Amino acid sequence: MRNRVIVVTNNGSVELLEQDIFVAGTLLDVLRRCRDLVHQGHQLISHPLVSSVKPNETPYKSVVLTKQRSAQIDFRSLSIIEASLHTAERMLRERPLQKYPERILQDFQFIDRDLLESALSSIPLYI
Amino acid sequence: MRLELGNIFIKDVQFGAETKVENGVLYVNKEELIAHLQDERLATIDVDLARPGESTRIVPVKDAIEPRVKVEGPGGVFPGFVGKVDTVGSGRTHVLKGACVLTTGKVVGFQEGIVDMSGPGAEYTPFSQTYNVVIIANPVEGLERHAHEAALRLAGLKAAAYLGEAGRNVTPDEVITYDCPPLQEALKQYPDLPKVAYVYMLQSQGLLHDTYLYGVDAKQILPTFIYPTEVMDGAIVSGNCVSACDKNTTYHHLNSPIIHDMLARHGKDFNFIGVVVTNENVTLADKERSSNFTAKLVEWLGVDGAIISEEGFGNPDADLIMNCTKLEKKGIKTVCVTDEYAGRDGASQSLADSSPLANAVVTAGNANEIIILPPMEKIIGDASADVVDVIAGGFSGSLRPDGSIMAEIQIITGATNELGFNKMSARML
Repeated sequence: MRNRVIVVTNNGSVELLEQDIFVAGTLLDVLRRCRDLVHQGHQLISHPLVSSVKPNETPYKSVVLTKQRSAQIDFRSLSIIEASLHTAERMLRERPLQKYPERILQDFQFIDRDLLESALSSIPLYI
Repeated sequence: MRLELGNIFIKDVQFGAETKVENGVLYVNKEELIAHLQDERLATIDVDLARPGESTRIVPVKDAIEPRVKVEGPGGVFPGFVGKVDTVGSGRTHVLKGACVLTTGKVVGFQEGIVDMSGPGAEYTPFSQTYNVVIIANPVEGLERHAHEAALRLAGLKAAAYLGEAGRNVTPDEVITYDCPPLQEALKQYPDLPKVAYVYMLQSQGLLHDTYLYGVDAKQILPTFIYPTEVMDGAIVSGNCVSACDKNTTYHHLNSPIIHDMLARHGKDFNFIGVVVTNENVTLADKERSSNFTAKLVEWLGVDGAIISEEGFGNPDADLIMNCTKLEKKGIKTVCVTDEYAGRDGASQSLADSSPLANAVVTAGNANEIIILPPMEKIIGDASADVVDVIAGGFSGSLRPDGSIMAEIQIITGATNELGFNKMSARML
């Protein structure tokens, strides 16, 4: 199932496959890239605001989408990614991300990876 | 299912030669408790005490657990962890009411959770009012984080069960009986009153975001029906320790105000049929499946209305709205209980998802409110900048030179608890 999905991430500790997309940027850059992919017909598999670690607390985000593009935009995915992006932008505007020491960054990467694995272990069979 | 809860009021906690409850004082044999908690995954275990009104700060708090013991009826407390997996919730359980076990220990660097025993922060957490036995545990070198979290979780539960034993042969100060009949019987009760169910959403996304039902990771369950009294014996255990303000600690589950208030109003304002437990997973398919099963189960119960409580913020808002809209579309009225991340002035959109059908919502507060916590004389755990600056709700410079902390109230354990277990609230008189 893993090869039927794309992981979009800025978390350098995530092991990527060929179809995955590494975004050399911020959490917002990851969400914007996901929004673009949804507009191109990909569907969200995992929720973009996964985790209780808020978008203005963690620098990292990994999102799972379908690899296959459908001709029709999935409006549910679109509405979720737009709302997520709006929430993340608003929270970051109010309280920008702080600078973290390296060991804390590694912890954020670890949790992001754990939640990504949780999503990858639950990929629907029908996609 | 009939459960008697025997509350033994605890008015102080002290170390002593024997672990016992005498005249409302919980005496703790520290060495015996530490010996009881030995675990090959933990290098050091220490125990400290914190009482209401003291100048004490506990950070980072992982879980809070109320000491309980099963004195009659099947099973033991915290089934699947301390007790076997017998169905609990009937018979008699003794509670050391006013006592609490708090676990502290850093699994990840940004882990949060402050409990101040006095000052303005104490107003926001219920655990400033309890007599706390604090377990301070550090892992062996190189312990993997999942194992570390599991070891801390178990240590807290074992400590609560150990202390609960001290109440086994004590005559309770009050006994409250909860009677929850099987479905067929429940539906026939109070024919003139509306039938109401409770949808209990449990955080279940991954490490530090998990909850357990009879020892099963809730992300692996399909929504299911349980009796309200099962929760009072520890059928639901928290492994959730991110977002201190709106996580449900094990203590919150044991004492869920939604369940207790619904039972108190059962037969007066409505007929409380029971509890549907559901999860909050990471994939949209899981969310759709769980909310579909929740809606189906609640419809099958034949109720007119349901209360839905959320745990956490962000993607659980999607679960909340799915549960709410699917029930409303079946003609079942809903009330959602949540908290808000509405910005420091409270003016922003509170939730990450919404629907016109979510037209009855109770808020437990705005987690983005700013608070200044004055310095405390005693710190249990670690309140250095290393911890406080990086924990959720803190920000660079949170810890000020005088030892005070400026942060959002999301830093405080239980500040905006979505089961409504808050010290500050608005009540109808």
